[in-house]
Amino acid sequence: MSSTVAGAPPARRRGTLKVRNAIIGYSFIAPNFIGFALLTLVPVILLFYYGFTDWNVFTGATFTGLDNFQRLLRDASFWKALTNTLYYSALHIPLTLVTALSLALLLNTGLRGRSFFRTVAFFPYITSIVAIAVVWNMLFSETGPINRFLAIFGLTDLPGWTASAQLAMPAVILVGVWREMGYYMLLILAGLQTIPSQLYEAAAIDGANAWKRFWNVTIPGLRPTLFFVTVMLTIGSLKVFDLILVMTDGGPGQATLVLSQFIYQKGFIENQFGYASSSAIVLFLICIAITVFQFIWNQRKDS
Amino acid sequence: MNRRIAATAALASMALFLTACSGGTSSSEGGETASGGDGEAMGGTITMSAWNVASTPEFQSLVDGFNATNPDYTVEIVEYDTNEYDTQMVADLAAGTAPDVVTQKNQAYFSTYADGGQLMDVSDVAAELTPSQALDSFTVDGTTLAVPYRQDAWVLFYNKDLFAAAGVEEPDGTWTWDDYEQAAADLTAGLEDQGGAFGTYQHGWNAAVQGFANAQVDGADPLSGDFEFYKPYYERALRMQEAGSQETFGNISTNQLHYTSEFGTQKAASTIMGSWYVASLIAQQASGDADEFEWGIAPAPQLDESTVYPDGTPRTFGNPTGLAINPAIDEAKVDTAKAFLAWAASAEGAKAVASIGITPAVVTDEVVETFFAAEGAPQDELSKWTFSNEAITPEHPTSSLTPAMWTVLGDMHSAIMAETESIDDAIAAAEERAANEVLSN
Repeated sequence: MSSTVAGAPPARRRGTLKVRNAIIGYSFIAPNFIGFALLTLVPVILLFYYGFTDWNVFTGATFTGLDNFQRLLRDASFWKALTNTLYYSALHIPLTLVTALSLALLLNTGLRGRSFFRTVAFFPYITSIVAIAVVWNMLFSETGPINRFLAIFGLTDLPGWTASAQLAMPAVILVGVWREMGYYMLLILAGLQTIPSQLYEAAAIDGANAWKRFWNVTIPGLRPTLFFVTVMLTIGSLKVFDLILVMTDGGPGQATLVLSQFIYQKGFIENQFGYASSSAIVLFLICIAITVFQFIWNQRKDS
Repeated sequence: MNRRIAATAALASMALFLTACSGGTSSSEGGETASGGDGEAMGGTITMSAWNVASTPEFQSLVDGFNATNPDYTVEIVEYDTNEYDTQMVADLAAGTAPDVVTQKNQAYFSTYADGGQLMDVSDVAAELTPSQALDSFTVDGTTLAVPYRQDAWVLFYNKDLFAAAGVEEPDGTWTWDDYEQAAADLTAGLEDQGGAFGTYQHGWNAAVQGFANAQVDGADPLSGDFEFYKPYYERALRMQEAGSQETFGNISTNQLHYTSEFGTQKAASTIMGSWYVASLIAQQASGDADEFEWGIAPAPQLDESTVYPDGTPRTFGNPTGLAINPAIDEAKVDTAKAFLAWAASAEGAKAVASIGITPAVVTDEVVETFFAAEGAPQDELSKWTFSNEAITPEHPTSSLTPAMWTVLGDMHSAIMAETESIDDAIAAAEERAANEVLSN
């Protein structure tokens, strides 16, 4: 082996090297992939089968064709959940995007104590969701600080927000925005730092004011980041679950019932896993459809 | 060289992952061996499921009492998460790793297990027991699938000190809902200049309103899809929160109020609650989590005077807690498991749980004595009378429709109590949902 000339190894050795590199590569991916496959991929694939059955965990799943989906079409609670999910997403996505972007822009300047404020903005994201629910529920209560503050502006007689059919969803959206803005702010901050400062200098020399620099340098430079953030936010909003479960549990009535919770109710509470799977398939298809649309739109913008 | 390091690192990471995985499986297998693998020689050792063992001493009482009856018997407790009990149990039964004795924690789930064929026929054990409504609620088509060892019932708890302070007469067992409503208003008014307290506290659960309608209105059937009979009960609940004689539903849910702190720290002079609160109130007064005050229990208010003290049998509701046998149990252990069920549901088992303030399924004079002998328990006659003179309707009917119907009824409850919909609209909406989403499937 020592006689082998460097740079021109025999064909056999090149082959084993390739295999070895591949093995090393795969073994690095393996731990994560095995976990993902066992806990996510396989269940998701099975879901597509169970969605067409009347499975209840214990007994065998009998194939029932499209029955579950026909039942979904007739199920007013499903439609209510779908409408509520779209309501949540329609407000949560733009609000989070705007607040996260504004925070990122603000904390990307030479502001004094900015690392402190970055931490503060990120804090809600790592706080226990149950603690968040308890504290915000109190803030939103009938005699809580938020209603007292609003009373200063003449808005009296407001009910407890999360106990009101009209205000429960806005309350949950507000808390959702507050909770997630820090995370997306971090992503956007990272994106902001990839924009070369020369571009800003050149724009300033050309006489562009701050607003023009924002529209013509920052936003185009952030395009890939904003795209990623929007896609993640959309998927996250469509499958919102924990926040609603602990804050309002879908109530009062069905005012904040969302799709993930509908799926949870049908599956884990009412033990109709087949039916729950079919609604999960619908949620999955909605997420895929919107994401594909976003990709196509992004590609068109790119070209 | 670098490549070798990389390869080693990669292998090491894989090895770590794999050991982590196998660590997980081996521990669960270990659990199974302890429960089922010991063979014929250990036919006397069985496992039972339980939750929150540290603060739910009834399991240990049952196990200790039963183990003492025969040196060959050993029951081991397998602990489950309190809030996710049924989810975890469903998963374990489906996976074949559940314990030998499956405790029925929530009666609403009983049909799920029964319909899924997850409970062994224990009719022979039941045949030896005193017939009861609790036993009936564990019986499907003449086959008993679980036996009750505990039976909770909703009663009226009242604070004797606050009643005296407000100058309101204590409940004498003859209260109808009108008397209760009047007393709550009088209490609130009477306590206004003494620090202030609500006359009563009615918790946010739908059972706190619906459970009584189910138990007291003749012909009431929550599974019928006809919910008109709830209306008077909701009208009263709304009137009382409007009048300020009890906390509003909105405040209860947004401030996440709890009956233990409302009644225990004298923010309310009375509360309608399940009998499990007896044990926790005694414990909390002993630990200082609740204030020191004298209290008693009285029958829950009644629809009319035909069912009141002293000649009537007050109607209330409550959940039985039962023990069932996993059909996957080792055949050699079936006799031990059945012996355990028979003992737990007998008067002996009842005394074991009554001694720690738990209301057993069997009520005899001796059991009543044991129950009220606990330190801190009320001593008045009405409390004892209440304990042994009640007709208890199971909170959840035994039916596979129950869980889905309870979702609908729960939504109706929060819509009415939060006053986001009128009672009539909410009932109509719930009836429509019941017809389309529950009864049609």
